[in-house]
Amino acid sequence: MEMFLHAAQLALDPWAVGAVGLGTFIGLVFGSIPGLTFTVALALALPITFAMDSIPATGLLLGTYIGGMTGGSVSAILLGIPGTPSAAATVIDGHPMAKRGEASIALGAAVVASVFGGLFSLLVMIVSVNLVSRLAIGFGPAEIFALVVFGLSTICGLCGGSMLKGLLSGVVGLMIMTVGMDQIEGVPRMTFGSISLMQGVSLLVAMIGLFAVPFIIEASSGTGGAADARATRVRAEMPGLRLLMSKGWLMVRCALLGTGIGAIPGTGGAIASFLAYDHARRMSPEKASFGKGNLDGVIAPETANNAVTGGTMIPLLSLGIPGDPATAIVLAGLMIHGISPGPALFMNHATEVYGMYAAIVLAYFWVLGLQLAGIRLFVHVLKIPRELLAAGVLVLCLIGAWSVRNSVFDIYAMGVIGVLAYLLVALRVPITPIILGMVLGPTIENEFRTALMLSGGSSDIFLHSPVALLFLGLAALVIVLQTVGELRLRAYKQKVNA
Amino acid sequence: MTGSRKDLVLGSVLFALGAAWSWAAWTTLSPGFGGGDIGPRAFPLAFGGLLMGLSALFLGVTLSRDGAAAAEAEEERILWGPALLLMAEIGLYGALLERIGFLLATPLLVLAVLALNLKVRRPAVLIGMAAGMTLGCWLLFGQLLGIYLARGSWINLG
Repeated sequence: MEMFLHAAQLALDPWAVGAVGLGTFIGLVFGSIPGLTFTVALALALPITFAMDSIPATGLLLGTYIGGMTGGSVSAILLGIPGTPSAAATVIDGHPMAKRGEASIALGAAVVASVFGGLFSLLVMIVSVNLVSRLAIGFGPAEIFALVVFGLSTICGLCGGSMLKGLLSGVVGLMIMTVGMDQIEGVPRMTFGSISLMQGVSLLVAMIGLFAVPFIIEASSGTGGAADARATRVRAEMPGLRLLMSKGWLMVRCALLGTGIGAIPGTGGAIASFLAYDHARRMSPEKASFGKGNLDGVIAPETANNAVTGGTMIPLLSLGIPGDPATAIVLAGLMIHGISPGPALFMNHATEVYGMYAAIVLAYFWVLGLQLAGIRLFVHVLKIPRELLAAGVLVLCLIGAWSVRNSVFDIYAMGVIGVLAYLLVALRVPITPIILGMVLGPTIENEFRTALMLSGGSSDIFLHSPVALLFLGLAALVIVLQTVGELRLRAYKQKVNA
Repeated sequence: MTGSRKDLVLGSVLFALGAAWSWAAWTTLSPGFGGGDIGPRAFPLAFGGLLMGLSALFLGVTLSRDGAAAAEAEEERILWGPALLLMAEIGLYGALLERIGFLLATPLLVLAVLALNLKVRRPAVLIGMAAGMTLGCWLLFGQLLGIYLARGSWINLG
């Protein structure tokens, strides 16, 4: 208790509070601009921490991480362009809400859900860091493969009108991610002799192209996201407390899901948010309204992707295993300040660990304050004339695509993928499954191949693991239920038409 | 073109893509060595096959769809001109970026997109947006946030 109070005193020092606030602000800015992720923000923030004490330094890094995870929802809701892959699921219902003139309600709900998810996962982390890390570390390649197959099965729920079109879209996403160097054997694949293609297609660049370019093309015809949103009055109306309280149980479920996914190294916010979205849709009595602006479709992914922040801290602090590139940079920052995560962390650096907990709480308060204060400002983006907004979005997206690897190839890739995405949108093919395929494709292949190598080619490795069997069974159940539902709907439509 | 006909074209194009992809994977990638190694070819080949199978199913479903359902699936008009124009502009921007740098390539792109795609005609808006976006982004990203923005190999304004 004495150590905790000492740590809280250090964390509440004005310099430390300011450092967390600065980090949160940087993270929010980077997270809300497509292409400039919080991983880039963390890489830029890391050198700033060199001259700082350990608690303000870790506070700055954690604030950047948390701000970045939350900021992705701003552009996802307002423009339909996710700032980070974790916010891709938020687009599905958040942007239709903005088109209806409910941008501020969606943004407000996203902020509250994010803060709830983050603080909930922190609580889970504090209470169960040792237990959860032991469970999470038990996830080998077979279990992660099965989990990702389960994640992929959610494509069935993201198809909109036609399941076949959604599946085709998902397979295209999986194919795109096989281009480039094979991560296991290091040989070029599907590059057709091009050196540029050897680096593969960046997920971020593809995401910018998929969401931003159709927006700009549609703006040139006077249709599309911003134009639709401008048709309705832009209101700065916040979601009511009663409304948010009614979503409490959904937030708890999604926060648990996000924390669990985050604790498994190699997964991350995008997988968690898609799984949470699918969970919310399945459990909702208003399934048909998903994809058309259902608030649950915003709350679920935003709760889950922020709950991932606490989840990823579990293996990071207890075992020294970073779950994603962002936490790897946080780990580097901790080590620079002499804090070595691992089993001995709580014995050797208890004050710093408690200081980190306090910094995470502070970061979420900063997020709440900055985002809620900013919502009234953010919604005015929708008042900008669509021509100017489209030109501005294009420049920001090009900077985002360029800054991923400082490569012109990424700009060309953004253009080509974007125009293809526009054609798919015009043909009513949903593009969210492409993103899901791209997010999960590399993991599904790497884990499957690693599992087979470990077992010497025997598929028993999947069948002898209860966890793997559970997730594969759930995936099969989701596919069967969705297919039966689709067939019934088609039969009903035929009956009505007859 | 009706929605049904567009679906037929979409299914055919994706089937052809799946076939070409599978052929390329089969001929250019090596198989595994056995003993648990399935090699770099297995997944691209499987995805290509999956795309062919799903496209064939999609074509079958589209052909068997009755008239009412086809009418219901009426699609929106495809803006081929703006789409191809934007792709060309992005391609040109990429080519110019490395030669004349961010500070010169960006205002040219903004001018082209505003004038050609978005039909903005007011000179004040054109010049204001081109200069404002370029300088604003250069200050924010290049100077304040320290992100590297391209410098030209022909002309370098920093």
